[in-house]
Amino acid sequence: MASVTLKNITKSWGDITAVNNISLNIQDNEFLVLLGPSGCGKTTTMRMIAGLEEPSEGDIYIGEKRVNDELPKDRDVAMVFQNYGLYPHMSVYENIRYPLKVRKVPKLQHEDLVRKTAGKVEIENLLNRRPRELSGGQRQRVALARAIVRAPTVFLMDEPLSNLDAKLRVSMRAELKHLQHELRITTIYVTHDQIEAMTLAHRVAVMDKGIISQLDVPEKIYNDPVNLFVAGFIGSPPMNLLKGVLKEGIFKHSNFSVGVGFGECQEAILGVRPEDLELTGPDNTDCYGRVYSFEFTGESTLVTVKLDDDRLTIRGPKEYRVSIDEIVGVRINRDKCYLFDAVSQNRITNY
Amino acid sequence: MVKGSKNKFLDFLQFLVILLTAVFILVPIYWIVSGAFKQQVDIFQLKLLFTPTLENFEIIFRSPYNLFDKLVNSTLVALSTILIAIPIATMAAYSFSRFRMKGERLMFVTILATQFVPAVVIVLPFFVLFRDLGILDTRLALVLVNLSLVMPFAIWMIKGFIDSIPLDSEEAALVDGSSRFQVILNVTLPMALPGVITAGIFCFILAWNEFLFAVIITTNKAVTLPVGLSLFHAEEGVLWHLISAAGIMIMLPMFVLATIIQKHFVQGITMGAVR
Repeated sequence: MASVTLKNITKSWGDITAVNNISLNIQDNEFLVLLGPSGCGKTTTMRMIAGLEEPSEGDIYIGEKRVNDELPKDRDVAMVFQNYGLYPHMSVYENIRYPLKVRKVPKLQHEDLVRKTAGKVEIENLLNRRPRELSGGQRQRVALARAIVRAPTVFLMDEPLSNLDAKLRVSMRAELKHLQHELRITTIYVTHDQIEAMTLAHRVAVMDKGIISQLDVPEKIYNDPVNLFVAGFIGSPPMNLLKGVLKEGIFKHSNFSVGVGFGECQEAILGVRPEDLELTGPDNTDCYGRVYSFEFTGESTLVTVKLDDDRLTIRGPKEYRVSIDEIVGVRINRDKCYLFDAVSQNRITNY
Repeated sequence: MVKGSKNKFLDFLQFLVILLTAVFILVPIYWIVSGAFKQQVDIFQLKLLFTPTLENFEIIFRSPYNLFDKLVNSTLVALSTILIAIPIATMAAYSFSRFRMKGERLMFVTILATQFVPAVVIVLPFFVLFRDLGILDTRLALVLVNLSLVMPFAIWMIKGFIDSIPLDSEEAALVDGSSRFQVILNVTLPMALPGVITAGIFCFILAWNEFLFAVIITTNKAVTLPVGLSLFHAEEGVLWHLISAAGIMIMLPMFVLATIIQKHFVQGITMGAVR
């Protein structure tokens, strides 16, 4: 059990900077998710913690110990890889046993530990098989078992669910969360899937272009994004972003105006989530436009309305029905509007 | 109907090409095999029926030919060569495949470039060198020469196989607690084994068949089988029946080896072909 601390970590290859001066403190027992699009530096950050990449600058601490110069094997971390990284020539049993073998755990304990761990991830009946005889989900369980068999101080997971089908991903997600709660191991989890991040994490670090844009609990990340990138990245469907002018607390779009009560900005962006918009009749409302598309998702409906050059996605009740090209009104929940400066990309707030 | 007859014609054409290729390859082998069992009087006659004899095989193992000594030399030289070359080549190939270092490309190209120098050009320097070292006509000299011939080839070939092994398993092993050497031994090598065996066989064949160096740096004690073939001259000319019998002794181990390891061989070749 240990905390992980990154101090001013930079990683660059020639002119390319993958990770740019990030600092991060992951507490003991915490489940931290590094979230971001591909190429944002999240995997590189994790690989530096594992010792598979050397940081160009900065220090990495696991617990109190600086580990920059330690080999991966001496850092006492365990890692689950996106493509599982199983040993194809060994049986499942041998795969799970391998860390015990190379770490010189007394042989008498091996069988017991392997079977207990296999039980935890429900693969006791697969121990004699080879990895190639397993499905994707089973392989992922083997990789998990191999990582937890020796109770590491830090648990690293690099997009472990991205190769699984959608249904399995949901159930494995729940299992991962349960497992982390049960084992109480500091966990760092890399993903580009915001749902995984929101559901699993104690805290989420949203990364973009090698820096951490925002580090906070999932609720804050969703409800209080600090900049345009975080606002646009989190949420599905994503937040509506409309360009306009903010003058004396009134946001003016080419199609409509809405009073937000504060702010002054020549090039402003209004952000509002689909669920914070309400469909109304065309009269006596904030704005109106033609329906561009209508989607029924089961638990709700998604209506896209064209407002001049912009499109606005609105989440409607599941009973709602409308035809394409019909004119509808949209009411904006003023308390749930986010305003951004289009130039600096930062949020404009009144606090 | 038209399509059917066209297909039949293509099938026939394919069969014909395969047949011709097979004949082209097999006729010389048939000639050697039949020659080995013929008596000297029958050797230049093209008749298919003759009285087979094992006498040739007796003769070649007797004095003055003593083929058994040559067989021992060839076996020891070829085996020693691959036993030294393959472990070293595997480690070199692993380094080339996995570590980035300064001048790596140049080093690799240089190693390959040694293969483009015609053997005839370097045989004389080798002769002088071995003479000065006092190891002319020894198996050691042959092993050294063969190493210089097969090593670049083995490195290049094994590197190809290691390149095609995904890094994930190796990195997993590193994090799991292995040292780099354990990673190579426990993870990379078992996965690259078909490739390493393939390279081993190719190198064995190269060393086994090597003639040019052997003929120049051996005279008596360390003579190998291919050089031994050139001994079958007599006043009455070339002794083709004995050469044929000795030729079989050269081919036989290759056939046995190929048959035993065919499985690995084919797998190794296709595995390399994936990338």
